[in-house]
Amino acid sequence: MTTPLNPADGAAPASGAPTAVSSGVLAAYAATLRDRPADPLRGVDELVAGEGLRPEQQLLADAVDAMGMPGLLAARHETRRLVHDDGIRYGVSGRDGVRDLDWRLDPLPVVLSAAEWAGLERGLQQRAALLELIHDDLYGERLLLRRGVIPAEVVLGHPGFLRQVDHVRSRGGLVVGAHDLGRDADGSWRVLADRMSAPSGAGYAMANRRVTTRVLAGLHRSTELARLRGFFHTMSAAVREAAPPSSEVPRVVLYSPGSMSETAYDQSFLASLLGFPLAESDDLVVRDGRVWLRAAGRLEPVDVLLRRVDPEYCDPLDLRGDSQLGLPGLVEATRRGTLTVANPLGAQVLENPGLAPFLQAASQALLGEDLQLTGKPAWWCGDRDGLAHVLDSFDRLVIRPLATGGPERAHLGAHLAPDAREELRRRIQAEPWAWVGQEPLPLSTAPVVTPRGLVPGRVVVRTFWAQRDGERHVMPGGLARAGVGAPELHVSSSAGAIAKDVWVLAPETAESGWGDPGVRPELVAVRPRAVVAPRVADNLFWLGRYAERAEAAGRVLRVCDDLVEDHASRPGTPGEQAMRALLAAATTITRVPGDPAQPRAHVRTMVTDPRQSGSLRYAADRLGDAAQRVRDQLSQDIWHVLSRLDRTLAHVPSDEHQLQPHLYDVLESLLAVSGVIAESMVRDETWGFLDGGIRLERAQFTVALLAATLAQERPPIIDGQLTEAVLEVGESILTHRRRTVAGEGPVWPIHSAVSLLLLDRGNPRSVAFSIDRLAEDLHLVGDEVLAAKAEALAGQVARVDLVEACAGDRTGLAEILGEVRASLFAVSDDLTRRRFARKTSQQTLPINWAVTS
Amino acid sequence: MSQGPDDWTPRQYTVRHRTTYTYEGAVEACFERGFLAPRATPSQRVLANEVHVSPEPQLLTEHVDHFGNPSFYVEIQTPHRELVVEKVSHLEVHWPQPDLDALDAWTVEAAAADLLAHADPVDRVGHLLPSPLVQPAPEVLDYCRSVIAPGMPLGQAIVALARGIHRDFAYKSGVTTVRTTLPELLELRQGVCQDFAHLAIGCLRSLGLPARYVSGYLETVPPPGQAKLAGADASHAWASVMVPGGGWIDLDPTNDHLADSRYVVTAWGRDFRDVSPLKGIVMAEAAGASTLAVAVDVTRV
Repeated sequence: MTTPLNPADGAAPASGAPTAVSSGVLAAYAATLRDRPADPLRGVDELVAGEGLRPEQQLLADAVDAMGMPGLLAARHETRRLVHDDGIRYGVSGRDGVRDLDWRLDPLPVVLSAAEWAGLERGLQQRAALLELIHDDLYGERLLLRRGVIPAEVVLGHPGFLRQVDHVRSRGGLVVGAHDLGRDADGSWRVLADRMSAPSGAGYAMANRRVTTRVLAGLHRSTELARLRGFFHTMSAAVREAAPPSSEVPRVVLYSPGSMSETAYDQSFLASLLGFPLAESDDLVVRDGRVWLRAAGRLEPVDVLLRRVDPEYCDPLDLRGDSQLGLPGLVEATRRGTLTVANPLGAQVLENPGLAPFLQAASQALLGEDLQLTGKPAWWCGDRDGLAHVLDSFDRLVIRPLATGGPERAHLGAHLAPDAREELRRRIQAEPWAWVGQEPLPLSTAPVVTPRGLVPGRVVVRTFWAQRDGERHVMPGGLARAGVGAPELHVSSSAGAIAKDVWVLAPETAESGWGDPGVRPELVAVRPRAVVAPRVADNLFWLGRYAERAEAAGRVLRVCDDLVEDHASRPGTPGEQAMRALLAAATTITRVPGDPAQPRAHVRTMVTDPRQSGSLRYAADRLGDAAQRVRDQLSQDIWHVLSRLDRTLAHVPSDEHQLQPHLYDVLESLLAVSGVIAESMVRDETWGFLDGGIRLERAQFTVALLAATLAQERPPIIDGQLTEAVLEVGESILTHRRRTVAGEGPVWPIHSAVSLLLLDRGNPRSVAFSIDRLAEDLHLVGDEVLAAKAEALAGQVARVDLVEACAGDRTGLAEILGEVRASLFAVSDDLTRRRFARKTSQQTLPINWAVTS
Repeated sequence: MSQGPDDWTPRQYTVRHRTTYTYEGAVEACFERGFLAPRATPSQRVLANEVHVSPEPQLLTEHVDHFGNPSFYVEIQTPHRELVVEKVSHLEVHWPQPDLDALDAWTVEAAAADLLAHADPVDRVGHLLPSPLVQPAPEVLDYCRSVIAPGMPLGQAIVALARGIHRDFAYKSGVTTVRTTLPELLELRQGVCQDFAHLAIGCLRSLGLPARYVSGYLETVPPPGQAKLAGADASHAWASVMVPGGGWIDLDPTNDHLADSRYVVTAWGRDFRDVSPLKGIVMAEAAGASTLAVAVDVTRV
């Protein structure tokens, strides 16, 4: 599907110097670079550095020139489509329902040579080792402070220094880490920030790779590239090995603030890459000084939290009392050693920009080595000379508060308006210990594909590592972000930068293959059985219900639309009355009101109005929401079909056109959703909840449909037409006709309809079939009590006498349907109560502001 | 409250502190963090300490916190409508009378400079930087200057600060809360011991002197001719300032004097937030309103 975009597949030369066929794209880009004004925040270019191309850039440069602008724009379009189809998202949707949260990714990777990477890797490993030793000292003896290597103010005045976790020894130490790097004007790499607390982005890096390699499949094939997958194996092992020694088969969860988090995609994708479930505060509980995963009726011990919740929010007892994302007692569990939190709660102190001026000295003190990978020169205002230098050089420096991440931001002195500048200088003088001045890093640029051509974007690369047995394994790649537009201090996704993949060329000695060098094959440990927390169970169940509800609405409304087309203009005819009857039934089921004089508009509202809680559109939207909330439980393929559903729903035909084709498209998309669900999920507890939702919804819908249509006495001619319509809604009209022709089925259409849609245990559309499946699902989720109830209901339905039920004025049928409806409702109610119950709410006790004598 | 030579003699106390939470609805579980044992200090020795919690906790553990205080974690997983946490401590207390004349050898400024040069950086900076409830403010600086000049002899300055706050502020409970800021307090001109301790700490820090918040008890004596009522004592709080040579001087601005042998220490930290006697989280469907009752007895034995 991407071949037209691939230069290496087509006529273009796959190697060699830039050739005469150059479309001039690169030449134009190089000209842009030459013509732009100098800026202290901007340095060399990654692709077209200085006089000529560096050898490792040749393949990419050739590819860019071979694609030309049309090819690059097509690649950009393809990238966007794949990002959308994979459901790669970033940020939080606004209240006004702005849905454009798609991750922004540029098709062109940043390419780094094997040799350059090897040097960088050594620097990262050394820096990580140093930060680990600093962390241990700061939460231990604090010799660095007592001996004056690092001023005490820098650490004790940083909000990330958590006195509550002082002296807690965390097994595994800093298990993971990330660093934001930029290339200096002289070509060397510099550290912009250390992400030591709960680094995000490793999931995005992998997602970028998956998209980029599809868009640039040809280039990817012809490039010897370090693969990323092996890193996640190592990271998974590193996290598991950080478990307390008492746990034989450690259970790890990725501890998430929830699906409303800005990086929710990153968290759930990472969880699935590592093979850990995602858990929120509601899924967890502290008991007997340790953390447990809540599952209906039982608790499963948790040994490691791979933490993505901000440390302050992790424990309302010992940390922020107003946090609803945390667990009271979590800090105590780490202190008792029953739980490892990775990274440790106190690690945020290492993200402190105030450490920068002192890292070189700390490296000498702790490692006896020079620090290889450093930031730009920085001065702490807490000492006299530092303060004087910062105030003198104010306009050339980046002014950073120690407490970054809070309400304070870093500023480039020169970018401040005069009054803001004076205000900042005044604040620095009032509290000098709280500020640091640092030389700005003139970031390198890389080309970003835009409709205006290639535009240089200033590049920041986030690198990742995981630590296992004291050895730090660096991901051979990373997450690059490029900021186009006027140079700003911050280049980050939240500041609107576009992501880029990072291609690290494999060293020539490396074997090509699926794995990374250094990944040891290992026996797969016997993992504890999956546990479905109530929140997850609830969302899976509703995912199933909404998928089925949307489909059912689609089926009934498609037939309604058909009848309206045929009969609306012929008032008084039996067809028109059957149409009115089915429309009334649809209204009863969806509870979407409408004007009886405007049947066409009414059907349209039931299909398309996202604000009506019974509409097809509403159910489809909720289906998407539920899927987002249990992202880590679902197959990747679901996002393709959900994205297709999204696109289909967005293209509502205008009023003068029939809805019919639209409904066919929507139903097709919904069938694709159920296809992915049915074919990609293991039949375990997870499946039980999801399929249980589907079956319960279908049984309830079919019962409601029959009750609103056939369980009422009508003139035979209308009844006949309505019965046919109902059979069509229930996908059973063909079976009915075939059986009638063959003389196999019941003679009367009503008998045939009730038989096929209520009693037939072999018809997947029938109530009886749905109840049988529901009972199986309830066995799967381990709820024997409810499974027995469902089986009893199935028996009750099996004993219904068809002829007797349909006799006379149909009150018998209405009664039976009423009973089934009540029983189904009771099962749903019980299931909700027994299996989806959330944790009881927490309250902070009033603090004793004692009264003195 | 007057102070005489008898107040510096050694003695023994039994301190009984009982906190009772009563809830309107049932509570399923609760988690508590509390300072349920007095710390050992140069001025006091802990002879014995007992902790009683009802209902019986699933877990009751103790560790030494960042500031050196014994800190307790209590976990209760049985449904209850009432929580009682009681500690009974037996102590021997003997505060030395501070040598104010010796302190007067330094001016406030000189003392701050000496500490900068010689004190342990962690101890000094940890108690000098702003803390959650003691934030620097121009109002605090102005007030401090109205009481102490940087050139004042250190001993006199400490006494003047306790005296100044006692003179300028009325003791009144219920006016301030745990969220009252120092500028607000300076506006109100009334408060309780915690407020006065925080203000003293803020003033001392603004002068470059590290200061900490001390939580504890004070023995009270009923008016002449009256019997002491059970449970009528209260927990108390005061300030402590670091002085050259590595010592700390405890001052009680609520009572306008330095701490003597009537003062029993529970714990210390940067401010109230670090040493809140008992705090907790309850898990409840509808705990409704809860009421808090505290009974304290400080008995000389």
